[in-house]
Amino acid sequence: MNLIPLVLYAAAGVAYAIHFVRRQPAVGRTATTLLLLAALSHTFVIGMQTMEVWHAPIAGVSRAVSSFVWLLGLSYLYLELTTEERAMGVFILPILIGLQMIPVLYPGVANPAPVLDSPWFWVHVASLLFAYASFALAAMLGLTYMLQFKEIKKKHLGYFYTRLPSLHVLDAMNSRAVIIGWLFLTIGVIVGVVWTAQARASSPGDVNIQAMSLDDPKIFIAVLSWLVYSFEVFARRTLGWTGRKSAWLSALGFAIVLLNFLPVSYFVTTSHTFQ
Amino acid sequence: MHLLLLGVSHKTAPVDLRERLDFSSRDLGAAVEALATRPSTAESVVLSTCNRSEIYVASDDPFRAREDMTAFLSEYHSLEPGSFAPHLFAHSDEAAVRHLFRVAAGLDSLVVGEPQILGQVKDAFQTALDRRCTGPILGKLFRWSFAVGKRVRTETALGEGAVSISFAAVALARKIFGRLDGRRVLVIGAGEISTLTAEHLRTNSVGEIQITSRTMASAETLAAAVAGVAIPWEQAMGTLGHADIVVTATGSQRPILTRAHVEAATARRRTDPLFVIDIAVPRDVDPAVGDLEHVFLYNIDDLQSVVQENLSRRAAEIQHAEAIVSEEIVKFASWQRSRGVVPTVVALRQRFDAIRRSELQRLDGKFAGLPPEARAKADEVTRLIVEKLLLDPTEQLKALPDEETQVAYTEALNRLFRLRPTESSTDVTDPSPSIGPGDRHRS
Repeated sequence: MNLIPLVLYAAAGVAYAIHFVRRQPAVGRTATTLLLLAALSHTFVIGMQTMEVWHAPIAGVSRAVSSFVWLLGLSYLYLELTTEERAMGVFILPILIGLQMIPVLYPGVANPAPVLDSPWFWVHVASLLFAYASFALAAMLGLTYMLQFKEIKKKHLGYFYTRLPSLHVLDAMNSRAVIIGWLFLTIGVIVGVVWTAQARASSPGDVNIQAMSLDDPKIFIAVLSWLVYSFEVFARRTLGWTGRKSAWLSALGFAIVLLNFLPVSYFVTTSHTFQ
Repeated sequence: MHLLLLGVSHKTAPVDLRERLDFSSRDLGAAVEALATRPSTAESVVLSTCNRSEIYVASDDPFRAREDMTAFLSEYHSLEPGSFAPHLFAHSDEAAVRHLFRVAAGLDSLVVGEPQILGQVKDAFQTALDRRCTGPILGKLFRWSFAVGKRVRTETALGEGAVSISFAAVALARKIFGRLDGRRVLVIGAGEISTLTAEHLRTNSVGEIQITSRTMASAETLAAAVAGVAIPWEQAMGTLGHADIVVTATGSQRPILTRAHVEAATARRRTDPLFVIDIAVPRDVDPAVGDLEHVFLYNIDDLQSVVQENLSRRAAEIQHAEAIVSEEIVKFASWQRSRGVVPTVVALRQRFDAIRRSELQRLDGKFAGLPPEARAKADEVTRLIVEKLLLDPTEQLKALPDEETQVAYTEALNRLFRLRPTESSTDVTDPSPSIGPGDRHRS
């Protein structure tokens, strides 16, 4: 069922790429329309999955990834429609397409363990997914900021210079994405801590719950990314770390997040592997 | 009806001759009226800019018209024909169409792709229209050329990228700061390029523009021109820290802005970018200033190479733009061909309508007892039947692919329906019966 959104994301990706190269307004509008259709069909898929299991389809890596793609797609659309800047699409769509392949190739149906049947759990996962989607956007914005910065600074006004938005706009969008992401990351982590404390008391025999500590790689890295983004938010306000420094931090933060989301989830962590 | 074009441009005539043949400085409306009163010129438009003076005419008698056009140029400007004839270019029909389309697209401009020309072509046509000097042929041609100009601008990058120093500087500022609203500008030295740059910045609605110069008077002159503030030379360094954009253009032999200056002045700005435009020769700003993380330093050579790059990028788009022009010429030619059948179409309509009227008249006695609404209805219904009957044949006729087929079809129609179409070309929407050769289109 995840295939239809994937096909539409891919079509939108192609349109964004053509738009980036040729800069024809009509192609740009087609790209946005395709992405809107992809997001709509994805909403439908996620709605169906919710009806099927009667909770948000975010338990299990495959479904969590699908929800993440959906949120990232929506966040990007929001950004595009509010700023009328389409050039970023060519950077975001490959992420959407790449990640959406995971639920298509491994459509694992996850019945969440009984211990997860708590409203805290859903708030925890949904906030974190949304935070990660924002961070993905911030990282892309940071990366394009660095590209644009390099072209202007080195006086090589070439391919990206004409196509990318101004440094100021990229920086402002980056700042917005990081603050929103940081807020949701904070909520997600706090809810996780509260819920763990509750679950510890109610299910003393659960190995996963007992492994919830800073020693666990997944939790450790989550806290690390929270520190990085907290510093970014703080440094922007008080140290004047805008522009390139902020762009670097966004890229670094998302590299850490990505590490946590994929390899660590599959191979390393012991705490977040509910069967 | 033939299209004729006669003119001079920057490609054929030196500037002093172009000046003497210029219409724009005098009353353009009067000029186009003077041209239109000549007997051979059915429709006239005069296009005059600093790079070209061109007269467009639609005429049934191209030989007379050509003579009239030359005579008009000579008389209107009080010049001997021999003095400008070698510099004239003359085109007719398709070549004239191509020329106008290329002009409107910016392909014939001194700076290829410059945007003003399209507006100038529109103004020229509007003037002719206001004076009732144009008609269906030139009307269609010029409106078509506006569409060609617009198409070339949206579908190619022919007009993209700044091609002057001051525009390049402003374009860069916009890529750094986004919108320039409220950005503060400091201009050091009031020269020609700094004036132009300040003017462009002003039209981009920057905030305060401060101007300083070693002579306060020239700073004040520039300040007045761009709604800025003149400040004494000694205070310039003090205000450096507040500026987002600095333009330097002094005649100083040594750098007036060193790295130490800029570092000290911008210490409190943290990482807010500072854009320094150094258009002085020799340079006013120490190149080391550009090494500062948040400073973007461009000197005149850098801007010059930006301009060069943009020019060559435009040149690369020329082929694409020419292809659009050629495509539109083909479409325009097919429209023109469709005009060849217009007299037949008009005659056909008149014939059908005459039959309709006479039949209604014949039945007038029988209709006498009917209420006026019913009579109006009968009139309306018969009119619609005629319209519908003629719709398909009219469209088919206008879509015929070549002139030979057209002639065959119109002859057949003439014979079948006993038509005697008048030779004068008439707009198809105007089926008025008596347009003789003497009546010329002035509407």
